[in-house]
Amino acid sequence: MIWEVFRQEDAGEYHTHCGNVHAPDREMAKLFAQIQHGRRKPTNSLWVVPKDEIGEVDAEEAAFGGTTDKSYRWVMGYKDLDAAFAEEVAESESEQEDADRASAGGDD
Amino acid sequence: MDVETVKERAGPREFSPKDDLPEEYRKAATRMIQFHANSEIMGAYLERPFIRQAPSLDRKLAFSAKVQDEIGHGQLLYRAAESLGIKSREEMLDELANGEGKFLNCFHYPMESWAEVPMIAFFVDGAAMRRQATLKRTSWEPYAHAMDKVCFEEGFHVKHGEDVMRELATGSKKEQQMLQDAFEQWWPRIIQFFGPTDDQSTHHDFSADVGLKTMTNDELRNAFLNAYVPKAQKYGLEIPDEPRIRDNGDGTYEVVEDDLDWEEFFTIAKNDAPGSHEQIGKRSRTQEAVEWVRSGLESWEHGEDTTAPQAAD
Repeated sequence: MIWEVFRQEDAGEYHTHCGNVHAPDREMAKLFAQIQHGRRKPTNSLWVVPKDEIGEVDAEEAAFGGTTDKSYRWVMGYKDLDAAFAEEVAESESEQEDADRASAGGDD
Repeated sequence: MDVETVKERAGPREFSPKDDLPEEYRKAATRMIQFHANSEIMGAYLERPFIRQAPSLDRKLAFSAKVQDEIGHGQLLYRAAESLGIKSREEMLDELANGEGKFLNCFHYPMESWAEVPMIAFFVDGAAMRRQATLKRTSWEPYAHAMDKVCFEEGFHVKHGEDVMRELATGSKKEQQMLQDAFEQWWPRIIQFFGPTDDQSTHHDFSADVGLKTMTNDELRNAFLNAYVPKAQKYGLEIPDEPRIRDNGDGTYEVVEDDLDWEEFFTIAKNDAPGSHEQIGKRSRTQEAVEWVRSGLESWEHGEDTTAPQAAD
């Protein structure tokens, strides 16, 4: 049975997919995941999920919002305006920048 | 848990559906979150007509994305309110449609021109974001969690609102005048957004004691004026003489409450202003018009005999 493994580097971060393990049950999957995926990179927590339990919808079946340039949806699309005047706006901006960086290639 | 224990333990994200909370807490949290959810929906309804009136394709795209986000925020918040076990999402939506649901004062006024758009999209959203950022530390964990996503998205709304304002403020004389007129009309309402001063607010004490609210009306109004008055001035807007606002020079302001129309404010709070009837009517008609979607989804979820497509295995 295949279990997909998701690693979280620090508390509060997202769990991101990092690979899988073959294991007969959840306990073994957790053990294998620790050994195979929790040792080389800083790890705060691991999730193991039975592969069969994962639902997938891919670009062949769905349009995912098409190919329109959606920069208007992002704070970064309004670069020449200063967000620093209100800390919560600046925070939203840096969160969006982080999310954009993560989706652009990740650090894995 | 009794109310005294709740008050002792109250802190950021302290309580979740795992906790056995007294009805008084759950009712107060429901009232607050339902108001917030309703406001997201009603704000979106007020802005929706301007998707059509947007002056360019870029603006149309951005504005429709923003309106869509706000509806999503409403849904997130109804979920956070529902988890308190006092009212279901359906009940809250029904209350909004039948005029019992309360929502922000600013969304009870009709909007007629594009020049009014930044009043909502920059000032009201900015004011709301000030408040929402403080609610990341509210004691009801599902509410704080919803605020994470809401605040993540709101940065775009506020900057987009500012962009619309900048365009008008640097446009033709006519556009500048329209912006100033809109500002004069909306400014008192925006000041009232934060409600009456602390000594007149009825709900604050309990909500603050149990950690639902983390800042008072006055503190939030001060924080808003500190950040947004300089913005208004930067774009050449003249702050109206009334309401009189005294800058204490220490980051606080005093607003002369008598300069504001509180009779109108409390009529609005009862959903009884002409704009209230118009906006609620709009919402109610839409709710009815899309009833078939909801009932279709519902019967599909419950696996009843239906013409909706079956889920593939």
